[in-house]
Amino acid sequence: MRKGSELPLRAGRLRTSTLLHVGALLAGVAVALSFPSMAPSPYEITVGIAILNYAVLSTSWNFVGGFTGYISLGHGAFAGLGAYGTGLLVTKAELPPFAALFVAAALVAALAVPVGYAALRVRGASFVIVSIALVLILLLVFQSWASFTGGSRGLVVPRPFPGMLRSEHHRTFYFLFAALLGVALLTWWIIDRSRFGMGLKAIREDEDKAQSLGTPIFAYKLVVFVVSATFTSLAGGLYALWFGDLDPVFQFSILSGAYMVLMALLGGVRHLYGPLLGALIVGYALEYSKVEYGDTPLHLVVAGLLLGVVVMFMPDGVIPAATALLARFRTSGETSIREVTAAELKERHGQGNGTDESEVRNSERSGSGG
Amino acid sequence: MPSTSLIFQSIVLGVLLGGLYALLAAGLTLYFGVMRVVMIAHSAFLILAAYLAWYAHRETGIDPLLTLVATVPLFFVAGVAMQRLLLTRLRPATLTMMSVLLTFSVALTIEGLLGYAFSGTQRRIRLGYSSAGFEFLGARIAAVKLIAFGMAALALLGLYVLMKHSRFGQALRATIQQREAAQLLGIDTDRIAGYGFGLGLATAAVGGTALALDTTIYPSLHWHWIGPLMAIIVVGGLGSVPGAAIAAMTLGMLQSLLQLELSTTWAQTVFYVALFATLAFRPQGFFGGRLAQRF
Repeated sequence: MRKGSELPLRAGRLRTSTLLHVGALLAGVAVALSFPSMAPSPYEITVGIAILNYAVLSTSWNFVGGFTGYISLGHGAFAGLGAYGTGLLVTKAELPPFAALFVAAALVAALAVPVGYAALRVRGASFVIVSIALVLILLLVFQSWASFTGGSRGLVVPRPFPGMLRSEHHRTFYFLFAALLGVALLTWWIIDRSRFGMGLKAIREDEDKAQSLGTPIFAYKLVVFVVSATFTSLAGGLYALWFGDLDPVFQFSILSGAYMVLMALLGGVRHLYGPLLGALIVGYALEYSKVEYGDTPLHLVVAGLLLGVVVMFMPDGVIPAATALLARFRTSGETSIREVTAAELKERHGQGNGTDESEVRNSERSGSGG
Repeated sequence: MPSTSLIFQSIVLGVLLGGLYALLAAGLTLYFGVMRVVMIAHSAFLILAAYLAWYAHRETGIDPLLTLVATVPLFFVAGVAMQRLLLTRLRPATLTMMSVLLTFSVALTIEGLLGYAFSGTQRRIRLGYSSAGFEFLGARIAAVKLIAFGMAALALLGLYVLMKHSRFGQALRATIQQREAAQLLGIDTDRIAGYGFGLGLATAAVGGTALALDTTIYPSLHWHWIGPLMAIIVVGGLGSVPGAAIAAMTLGMLQSLLQLELSTTWAQTVFYVALFATLAFRPQGFFGGRLAQRF
């Protein structure tokens, strides 16, 4: 009975919220796409590219981190492999740049299978250990194997569009990164609404229960790990084509993996746009501090402290934190219905209106006070 | 094929290095035991202790070994504080993952502060006995390496006696094995867990001082330690101190032997190979019990 009366109301709400979502999405896309033509100088476009790169990386990380709750500190390894794979395929195998990008991503995906197999067989702690070990081992290999990777001297990747002016080059890559971000977000959204995504989230909430309910937890975790690695590698490869110069210290840096985690966590790992939001905040702050303060060891301190604060005080990110804050202002904040009569409850649900609710509360309070 | 004396020398060096690994891995195992925490900042504290020893030596000229008097209690208190003030406040449901991030952020902060305070320059303590050494069955052993090993061995022995033969050690082991049951027996497991954490960090103080004796240190060095150490505790079986010690000795020796044929960096990959192989074929490690199978 009550459900029946509520249904049309909920449908109406759903429609307005969907409209709002679509509107906000279109506005966001419009702003993002018009940014290059509004930017006063190519420098702003490069900042935009850096932030988009962070957003893709962090969204890719969130396939594993957000759905399954497994935190990988070593996703920088997949970005580095994508970058070096693309660069080496272009320079050594002389593949066309964008073919190299996808071949490298396929290779990384193939490598992610055994890595994921080793990492995901047991629970969380070993996964983290493997993820960090992966970055450290690849850093060792790419630094030592100088004859193939260029070692610490770096690897120069030729530009994919040789005749293009510098500003045009940046503009093109801005749109390429934006497109990749779009695909990554769309994939996340589709998984989020699928049965597969449901299983992954069940793993996050309680792996034992998920398993006893028949979710093929190992296969699910492995598949999403490979998907995540593939997107990360695409972002890394695109970065290689854009930036054109690779150094193992930066490509296989534990710090870049930490930034991905920080951004996703800050924005909110359970939300589609959480990592994007985190990338906007942290990425902008990073680029700003690079210009203002240069490269000092203090950026490590700031990153460390920020990560610590997020972990301690808002592990669900700013989106839930802000929503909770808003909700506190919006509703009565009542969690108990012990003092409310059934008639009042029915009335309240029938109207479902904020102002009436507070009126009821006020009259209640004055009643009990007098 | 290297000569026999060279191989023997490598084995001796491997044992000496393995002792230090074993001590540090014991610290990591303690954290894992009491709280199921993978403490990424362990090696950052190790380097911090090394820097403190180096700094005290540079400023006052005292022997780095004397800094132990200050750093061991200091690190113990820091460990207790870290457990009581930071780690216990995390949500129990996501503790394993979030504690990794939290200790990771501590590691980054320490690395950044070290870089800020002492710059990224490589530092090394020069002592009167730095170049001293002696021959042992054809192998040449530096005195500082032997001192470092002796410190590690003494600390490990002390830890063993404490764990096996004191009431505190019994309480600590009970807390590690069955927290609820320990509580029922009247053990204040929260306090004991805090002390266990402090004890783990104290091993980093001893290890760091030992490290400072014969190694060149720089702020980002801790990444070269945490990887091998984590590999050791996984190979040994998470939570098993004897397992960690055996794995530390074996892998330390393997690394030392591989250095004969390969460069130092390639030799270090033995840890990661062992890590991946263990997880792929025997994920609970080689000496881990019930505990290791779930993590």
